[in-house]
Amino acid sequence: MEAVKEKKEATTKPKKEAIIVIKGLKKSFGKKNVLKDINLEVDRGENVVVLGKSGEGKSVTIECIVGLLTPDGGSIKVFGDEVTDMNDNQLKELRMKIGFLFQSGALFDSMTVRENLEFPLTRVLKMKNQQEIDERVNEVLEGVGLVDAIDKMPSDLSGGMRKRIGLARTLIIKPEIMLYDEPTTGLDPITSREISELILNMQKKYKTTSIIITHDMECARITSDRVVIMDSGQYIAEGTFESLQKSKNEIAREFFKDIS
Amino acid sequence: MAEQELELTGWRKWFAEVGDQCVFFTRFFRNIFKGGFEWSEFIRQCYEIGYRSMMLVGITSFIMGAVLILQLRPSLESFGQVGMLPKTLSVSLIREIGPVITALICAGKISSSIGAELGSMKVTEQIDAMEVSGANPVQYLVVTRILAVTLMVPLLTVIGDIIGLAGGFLALNIKDSVSYTLYLHKCVASIDFSDFLPAFVKTIFFGFAIGFVGCYKGFNSNKGTESVGLAANSAVVTASLWIFVIDAIAVQVTSILFYK
Repeated sequence: MEAVKEKKEATTKPKKEAIIVIKGLKKSFGKKNVLKDINLEVDRGENVVVLGKSGEGKSVTIECIVGLLTPDGGSIKVFGDEVTDMNDNQLKELRMKIGFLFQSGALFDSMTVRENLEFPLTRVLKMKNQQEIDERVNEVLEGVGLVDAIDKMPSDLSGGMRKRIGLARTLIIKPEIMLYDEPTTGLDPITSREISELILNMQKKYKTTSIIITHDMECARITSDRVVIMDSGQYIAEGTFESLQKSKNEIAREFFKDIS
Repeated sequence: MAEQELELTGWRKWFAEVGDQCVFFTRFFRNIFKGGFEWSEFIRQCYEIGYRSMMLVGITSFIMGAVLILQLRPSLESFGQVGMLPKTLSVSLIREIGPVITALICAGKISSSIGAELGSMKVTEQIDAMEVSGANPVQYLVVTRILAVTLMVPLLTVIGDIIGLAGGFLALNIKDSVSYTLYLHKCVASIDFSDFLPAFVKTIFFGFAIGFVGCYKGFNSNKGTESVGLAANSAVVTASLWIFVIDAIAVQVTSILFYK
């Protein structure tokens, strides 16, 4: 709870600058219209949580933001640049500013934790100095509290540890935007809470802007500055966690009905 | 009508697959010449693919050489041509049986393992994680593997040929007493440039086909655990088929160039 209060204080910003602007985003898979009309603006330093039922296309939205999927229509502007018009090199440059935490952690299972963390440094940032690389690796591992796991293989780690290392690997290139795809799915309530608080702490430490896709209400409560609720390919409600708790929207009420 | 539509879908699917393979080949080819070749991964793959397949290729070739001698002996004996056994073995082994058997073994072992490995990386979002981090998964995963297989299959074939000849020597000495120097002299004397070169060149194409098919099937597998098995299975079948197609073409080209 303390972390939540601190977060609220930290997010009181005098000036707002939208660094992600999505307008009329559409995406279909075959005959299924997954995204019908998505409109979203995310300000610098803001944590936006997207709530929605499984299969509603929450992850599709963030996959479109990093160019993993090509939208069928609409516009996505990140740092003022249109993502859908970017060539490979522009997309690569953009991706260097965006961190993406996958649901499974997506650790490279043929590499140790150290090699996983060194991968983006040597391949993306082209760092050569081993001392600098070691410092950066230790810094992020300390941040996620897993310094001892440095020489372990991903198969030796628990689900929560994998997510932490996944988060560390994403943060190691110091991204300006973080996209979290269901960061607490499959974890027990205690570990879920730890991961949610870690997300918040890392956001404060690295001053990132985040979109967090989840259906974990506790995660949403801890991490969100603003919550948007998605249903049938559209955002149907938006507001702070507290304001949505009192919302009269039926779907929003469904999400918040078990929250005291 | 429904059947016609189904057939049309089948053809469309086939053309789409061919198109995808062309795009994949272009991506592979472009990435060979991009800077930052992954030498350490390439050497690791050469070790995994070459060294780890040596035992299997060696045992199979040894048995193949011995069996060929044992099978050929009665036929040649009836013509009083037992002395032709080393020559017959070396020509058939080096020209045809050695390259094809080695390539088929590699298709079974290497192509399936690459297909399964990349397929499982796709399913667990590791390839997506590489891509969104700004790293180049084609350069790291595909270029290194295809080039390693293209290099290792010819080397494994040469080793297999030598071990196959050793197997033939052992089998020959079950009934006859032939000295090692005489056997080797007869084998080498019967082989000339036009036997070795085309066979060696076609193994380069075999290697490329094995690596390319494995990488393509794995890299383009669907996101589901079932697709990992399908990718591995499909890689073996397609690579084996390609080996025979390449072999048939190589025979025609060799006939035109060397045996007019």
